[in-house]
Parts: sequence; structure tokens; C-alpha cells
Amino acid sequence: MFDLEPDDELALVLETARRLASEELGPPMRTHEAERRISPALAGSWEEVGLSTLDVPTELDGAGMGCLARVHVNEALAEGDVGAAIALDPFGPALIALLEVGGPDAARALLEATQDGKRRALYVDARDARVVPEADGLSLEVPWVPAEEAAALVLLDDAGARLVVEGLAFDPVRGAGVRAAGGAALRLDGAPVAGAWHDAVGIGRARARARLHTASLVLGVLSATWKFAAAYAQERQAFGRPIAHHQALAFLITDMRIALDAARLLVHEAAWRVDRGLPCETEAASAWAETIEIARTVGPNGVQILGGHGFMADYPVEKHMREARALSLLHGGYDAAIEEAGRALVAQATPLSLGQEGAL
Amino acid sequence: MIDYRIDPEAQARLAEASEIGRKELRPAGLEADRRGAPIPTDDPFFDRCLERGEGGTTWAGPKGQRAPRRRSSVVERLLISEELAYWDRGVVIALPGPGLPENNVLAMGTEEQKERFLGPFLAPDRPRWACFGMTEPGAGSDAAAIRTTARKDGDGWILNGAKCFIGAASRSDWILVQATLDPTLSRGKGRGAQRAFFVEQGTPGLGGFKIEKKMGLKAYESTSFALDDVRVPAANLLGGEARYESSAGFKTAMRTFNAGRPQIAANAVGMARAALDESIRFAKANDLLGQDRVRDRIEAISRKVRKARLVCLKAGWLADEERPNIVEASMSKALAAQMAQEATTLGLELVGLVGARGDHLIEKLYRDVKAMDIVEGTGQVQRMIIARTLVGLPR
Repeated sequence: MFDLEPDDELALVLETARRLASEELGPPMRTHEAERRISPALAGSWEEVGLSTLDVPTELDGAGMGCLARVHVNEALAEGDVGAAIALDPFGPALIALLEVGGPDAARALLEATQDGKRRALYVDARDARVVPEADGLSLEVPWVPAEEAAALVLLDDAGARLVVEGLAFDPVRGAGVRAAGGAALRLDGAPVAGAWHDAVGIGRARARARLHTASLVLGVLSATWKFAAAYAQERQAFGRPIAHHQALAFLITDMRIALDAARLLVHEAAWRVDRGLPCETEAASAWAETIEIARTVGPNGVQILGGHGFMADYPVEKHMREARALSLLHGGYDAAIEEAGRALVAQATPLSLGQEGAL
Repeated sequence: MIDYRIDPEAQARLAEASEIGRKELRPAGLEADRRGAPIPTDDPFFDRCLERGEGGTTWAGPKGQRAPRRRSSVVERLLISEELAYWDRGVVIALPGPGLPENNVLAMGTEEQKERFLGPFLAPDRPRWACFGMTEPGAGSDAAAIRTTARKDGDGWILNGAKCFIGAASRSDWILVQATLDPTLSRGKGRGAQRAFFVEQGTPGLGGFKIEKKMGLKAYESTSFALDDVRVPAANLLGGEARYESSAGFKTAMRTFNAGRPQIAANAVGMARAALDESIRFAKANDLLGQDRVRDRIEAISRKVRKARLVCLKAGWLADEERPNIVEASMSKALAAQMAQEATTLGLELVGLVGARGDHLIEKLYRDVKAMDIVEGTGQVQRMIIARTLVGLPR
């Protein structure tokens, strides 16, 4: 039963995503970063590939491949350039989150507002925003979103999901990273709420999927940093041999890889749970916390391995370090994740017993 | 297709393992720890093991006359290992049976050797043990450095050397002893010069058995012994001379170890999970779960346990798929052993001075689990193995 082999359909999609990442996202990453947008040609080729609705159910004209496919593809794309990966994806986790809480009708409302994905939709976890309670409309401030425009906002909090399609104001900021997607402070001043939905189970699943979505992007960044640093360490000579052949660095590179592989499995297993309809909130919170934890070490260690060169913008690892850190501040960050996972875990006597619900 | 399910058959076996663990393994482990000595060979515990059908071989018997026992997948075996170690890893190692060398005999042994050495385990009349003698005082993780010698003498072999930390050696019917034809050979050639020999209990020159005093895992014996001009017949050379072309001898031993690393990792996961559950139980009983500090620690342990389990199962899955798993096997062990030490350490901090009394399960686990980062290659050796593959770290 236990199987880690992607099926043929996912393998094919992944092959496409990896090719796109290595051929079209990676090479112009610094140009995209400087221009704070991706090239129109790239956006055009993306539409042809059709990865945007990979995890959207078929009843909404998506590919219906689920969360596990999404996290695989996200990681592959982010390995090329996470900024471009975010810029290319018109929905991010917004559409799926809304679907989980509000069902197909809510999702259709968002699709209509974005003209079926021709314009972007943003997802914001209320814990990342300062929300001002108002009788009419919605007022909030978010210090940073990886976008400079959007046609719709999905705001998720413990009460439910709200859709906003008017009154989104963006004040561009420099951004610590992910600049290819743009970067702005988002402000709403009494913006009308187009719809609000309140499904308790859906809220948990929506939060889980959003976290896994971003976690997989961060994993892609960290995977890129590991590959670059490991390759560099085998080329760069110091004290008469490749630096990778000094045990201190060999072990550092090894530990980075172990951390990366382990976090990836946590993310994948949680995504599998989402697709199977199993409890997934704790697992997703835990996977998100783990991803953040390794972003703290793998990113800076990638720079460390390159030494002075790593600190320079001539190499991608400094970009990776900034971007993994910025993204891992989302969704309430580390503290919210461990708080939620911790509360759920201690509510059980033996939380990790084998075979519960036939799952690990 | 990606799937993290445990199939119903494995679930049923897990439930069975859990029941045995709760009723038999945990009490036996605590008792051995209190006594500070291995479970005696005549302990009724072992008779009950035989009554449950344990202690036998998976070999189907001469000409396959007996229906072979179901060979479960590596993944399933890892899950069962985790569950059994959850209850008591030391007692699991103490269980009778052909043990670690069984796989070597099945893979390399002649039919005659299988009948001679595994035959008594087909329907054991009493608790019987066998063991694998690899580790030496001067060769632990670096298994290629063993110095026990094998010298051809007429139609037999003469073995000389010393082994240490060998599980169940004094109570084993036979020991599969790893020896080298020439300890002066350089490392590369030294591997090809290794052979494995069945040395039966009572063979003249086999002696000096000393059951070591250990920090933990007291339920099973770890024994040192000497081989002083031990003469074994040519028929006791595992697989016969023809099987020892190039470095096959060493590789067979290492094959066991490669399969063994995820096994140790699974044990570590089980022990860490035991520490986690005990930590939660203690925290609940003492109204500590309302504290952020306590919940954060429990979350941290849980996350580490889950990721180590997944890495371990990935290594097992690769083995089931007959794909190379050297990196993943070493990763699983490096990660799980360290994680389990942390889990028990954090658990002790949670229970506070209760853990210093010397009679708390987490304290026992803290001592027991240290061995997981040592046996079958320390965490440092695992990292060397991984680095050789990933970045070409020279040997």
C-alpha cells in the first residue's frame, strides 16, 4: 500500500514543470527580480501549459489532481524561481481555500471576479493582517503581500472566508524577496465584502492547504539552494581539495539534505491526507512549522558554503535565503503553526499511534 | 501512485504486536532493567514466546516442504519494528530465533547449511538463539577493519581473534563469525579477504564469554568472547569458497547492515514515541498541558518522530522496490537516532526530578536509546556514507 511513486499523470506534469523551471524561470530570475514582474512571453507560455488549475476540481473545469499534485508542482517551479512561480499562478491558494469553505458557488464567484484567472487573486490569513472591525465593509492592513495588483482577495480567519473584489489598495514596497511577483502593502478601507462563508471543517482544510501551498514553494527554494551549494562545494578548492571533502562541510551539506528530505515527506504526507479527506490540519501545521524551521538553517547555510561569494548577488543563494525567510513568515508564521499543532496533539493520549484511520 | 496508507493486513499485525508489547514486552523490559541483567534463558517468558509461534525461522525447510512464513514487505517490517520497540526494544532483541544472520544464511548459505543451521529453528523444541559476530574491540562502525583471522588448515579453517558487543553470543547455538584471510591487506583488498564462518557453541577454543554491563537495553546480553585456534570444518564456511569471489563476503555482511539501518531507525522512532506518550501522560496528570512551554515541547517531539518515521519508511519502500537506498537508509538512522535521544531528553526535562529517581520509563528510554546512534554505524559514520554518495567525500 505504502508507495511514494507518482502516477504517470503526475510524473508527466512534473516533467513539464521541471522543464519550465529550468529553462524559463531560472535563467531570467535576476531580470524578473529587477523588473518586479515576469516577461509577457513567459506568462503566455504558462497559459499554454495550464498548470494554474491543477488542483481545482473538474466540476470547475480544473484538472482535479489534488493537493499532492499541487505541492509537487509548486516545489518544482519554485526551484527555478519562486517569485516567477508565484507571479505565474493567478490563484495561489485563494481559489482552493475559498472552495473548501464556501463550496463551488463561492469558487465561481472568485473565478468570475478574476475573469477565470486572467487576473490574480490573493489569499491572506487574517493572522498576517491587522483587521479593523467595522459594521460595514472590511478594513485591514497587510504589511507585505507578494503582489502589486489583484482582482480579488480571500481572507481566512477562524470565523470563515470572505471574498473581496473591490477596494483593494496596494502600496508597493521593496520586498525582502520574491520581487518577480511584485510586492506591496495591502490596504482595505471599508471595502465591501462580496461574500462570506463559515464552514468549520472547511476553514481547517483551507488553512491546511494554504500552508502546504506555501511550504512547497519554500521547499523548492531550499532545494535549489542545496543543489547549488552542494555542486559549488565540489568545485571550489580550499586547502588542496574541494571544500565538500572537508568533513565539516560534508556533514553540513548532508544535514541540510536530510532536513530537506524529511520536511518534504511531512508536506507530502499532509497533502495526501488532504486529498484522502483525512484529518490534516495538525499535520499541515506541523509540516509548515518544519518547513519554516529548515528555512532558518538551510537558507543561511547555503550562503555559508559559498562564503564571500554567497553574500554577493552574483550567485542565487543569497536570493534563496531572503526569499525562503520572507515566505515562511506567512500564515501566522512558526508560532501560530506550533501553537495549533501543539494544542491538537496534547488533546490525544497517544497522538502518533500507528494505524489510526489506516494512515501513518 | 503515492499512498501513505497502512494496509489492513499490516494494521492487524500491528494490533497484535501492540497487544504482545503491552502484555509481555514492556513488563519484561522493566523487570530486566530493575534486575540489571539479561532475561535468563530459562525464563518462562521465552516459553511463552515459543507458544505464540515466535523464535522460528522464515526458511521453508528442506525442499520447501513447509509452507513458508509470509515474508512481509520491508515497510511492514519497519512498522512492526517501531511498534515492538515502542514497548521495549531490549526485549525484542532478546527474543529467541536465528536473529541477524538468518538473512545471510538464506541469501548465501548452501542447502546443507540451511538445513544444518536453520533446521533446528523450523519447530524449535526450546528457545534457541543464533547471532552474528562482526564487531571487534578495534572495529566497530568500520566493519572492513576486522582483525579476526581465518587460516586454511587442511580441510578446515582455524579462527583466531576476539569479538565484542555481540548480542546473545553466550546462549547461541552458533555464531556466524566474520573473519579476514589477511589482516595486513590494504583496506580495499581487505574487504575481499573477508569470510563468514559458522562456529558452533562448544567448539574448542571458543570461550571467554563475558556478558557486558550496560547503561541500558539490559534485557538482552551483549557479550564479548575469544576465538583461540578455533577449528571449523570447510562445510562451515558460509556459502562455500565459490561464493567468495571478489568482495562478496564483505558485501553480504554490509547488505545485512543496509537493511538493518532503517530497522534501527524504526526502533528509535518507536522508543521516541514511547517517550512522547509518557510525556503527555505525565503532563496531563500534572495539569501541565495548559502551559505553552510544555505544548511546544510536545509538538517539537511529535514533529521529529513523524519525520523520522517517514524517512525510515521511504528507505524501506526503496528496499521493497529493489532500488538503491544507501543514502536513505543512512539518513533514516542518522535522523531517527538523534531525534529519539532528543525526545527522551525533552521528556526528562518535562518530568523534572522525577526522572532523576531512576525508576521512570522515560529515564530508562533515555539510557536505552543512546545505543541507537551507535549500533550498525554511528550517526557520524552514516553522514560519511551519505556524503560519499552526495558530494564524493573520499574514503
